[in-house]
Amino acid sequence: MFKAEQFIKENVEHLKKTVKGKALIAFSGGVDSAVCAELVHKAIGNDLIAVHIDTGFMRKNESAQVKDLMKDLELNFKFIDASKQYFTKLKGVIDPEKKRKIIGNLFIELFEKVAKKEKIEYLVQGTIAPDWIESGDDLRDTIKSHHNVGGLPENMNLKLIEPLRDLYKDEVRILARALNMSVSERQPFPGPGLAIRIIGEATQERTEIVREACFIVEDEIEKASKNESMELPWQYFAVLLPVKSVGVHGDKRAYGDVIAIRAVQSIDAMTCMYSEIPNSVIDKISTRITNSLGEKINRVVYDVTHKPPGTVEWE
Amino acid sequence: MVKIIVIDNGGQWTHREWRVLKYLDVETKIIPNTTSFSEIEDADGAVLSGGAPRIGIETTLGNCSSYLEKASFPILGICAGHQYMARFFGGDAAPSKIPEFGKVELKIIKTGCPLLSNVSDRSIVWESHNDEITVLPDSFECYAESKDCKIQVIQHKDKPFFGLQFHPEVEHTEFGETIFKNFVSICETAKK
Repeated sequence: MFKAEQFIKENVEHLKKTVKGKALIAFSGGVDSAVCAELVHKAIGNDLIAVHIDTGFMRKNESAQVKDLMKDLELNFKFIDASKQYFTKLKGVIDPEKKRKIIGNLFIELFEKVAKKEKIEYLVQGTIAPDWIESGDDLRDTIKSHHNVGGLPENMNLKLIEPLRDLYKDEVRILARALNMSVSERQPFPGPGLAIRIIGEATQERTEIVREACFIVEDEIEKASKNESMELPWQYFAVLLPVKSVGVHGDKRAYGDVIAIRAVQSIDAMTCMYSEIPNSVIDKISTRITNSLGEKINRVVYDVTHKPPGTVEWE
Repeated sequence: MVKIIVIDNGGQWTHREWRVLKYLDVETKIIPNTTSFSEIEDADGAVLSGGAPRIGIETTLGNCSSYLEKASFPILGICAGHQYMARFFGGDAAPSKIPEFGKVELKIIKTGCPLLSNVSDRSIVWESHNDEITVLPDSFECYAESKDCKIQVIQHKDKPFFGLQFHPEVEHTEFGETIFKNFVSICETAKK
């Protein structure tokens, strides 16, 4: 079994000994970065600076919630709105690996800028095992480049600290519960954000579509699991496909985009089964998406692929 | 406490093998398959992980041949490790006619394999392979199959060597932990 108390004690002691000076944590607001921040904060206090970057690809109201979380955790923090830079860099980019690398590189560029100004020596990341496993290495094939691994430059000036490197999500959640953190059960959200839930170019317009669709999927599934009509999946979201299909809207021909609903059960993200969502819930999601996104979306499909052969996210 | 080394052949789930062993309170570490045998000589057992190399096409798998040649401790080959083990002892592997990915039903066809102790005759396992064993070496017996892949669990007739085509280390394999517990007992017995 995983021993949370022991892990916390050993790691805080180790961090106290090894981190001499200021450190910056890449703070997305997810359970990995939040737990990591809490551990390092325990070790070095306000020498830790949390930096949250709003990439423009966060979910509805997410960056505002992350700001509140950083306040709740009493972190010394910076909030950077870099959405314009992200949209510019991703203009015309379709290849999913290119997208991931551009996003990862820009993260580091922005962190290095802060570090230089504030004379920070260390970069703390909440990297967990699947991130480096799937990113590939000398022995392993690259399944997808995670932003916090594949985006790192070869000659980085910052010293890297990744206390959760050997853990999986279920173990990080155990730590979060042991540390009484509100984020302990938050569903995973990828670092590149909604950019990899838009298959094809991640334009601002398409981002707004997938942001609303993700919100609807989350809202309906959370309601359904609250009233016990289904088990809350491990992860659940919408993907915007680069496919158009014909529909009929008020006796007129419609020609719009397709949204795929994805929901999976997992423990550690390394194997997953697609979730069984009751038809009544699928029905609510489908109707709400097609009605509220009107002209833009006229078809909704449900992804029934396990991992393997699929992965959780489509890119 | 036994010490079981995980030989990394570049699998997506190599680190999961390490985690399952660690949870069973085994002393364990992951080493790359380029490590020489002399560095793992003192182990009580080894797991040859799966990996991206196509055993149906390529003929080598790091230093795995030297481990299979020299080790007297138990070895568990998984996926690519299992296929390579068969190849090393004179069998063969080739691209699968029907590759298996994800959820598959495993059927035990022969009793007596200690690795399958307390595993139901039919159970759910998770697979991820493009190749499979096509010729079982004379020195091995096969204990389980699936609908599309006949050689799923093998054991050497004289040596404590085992092979699994599926992945006992992943959460969704029903008796995965049981199989690892069995392998740990096999290593404990061999140590005595």
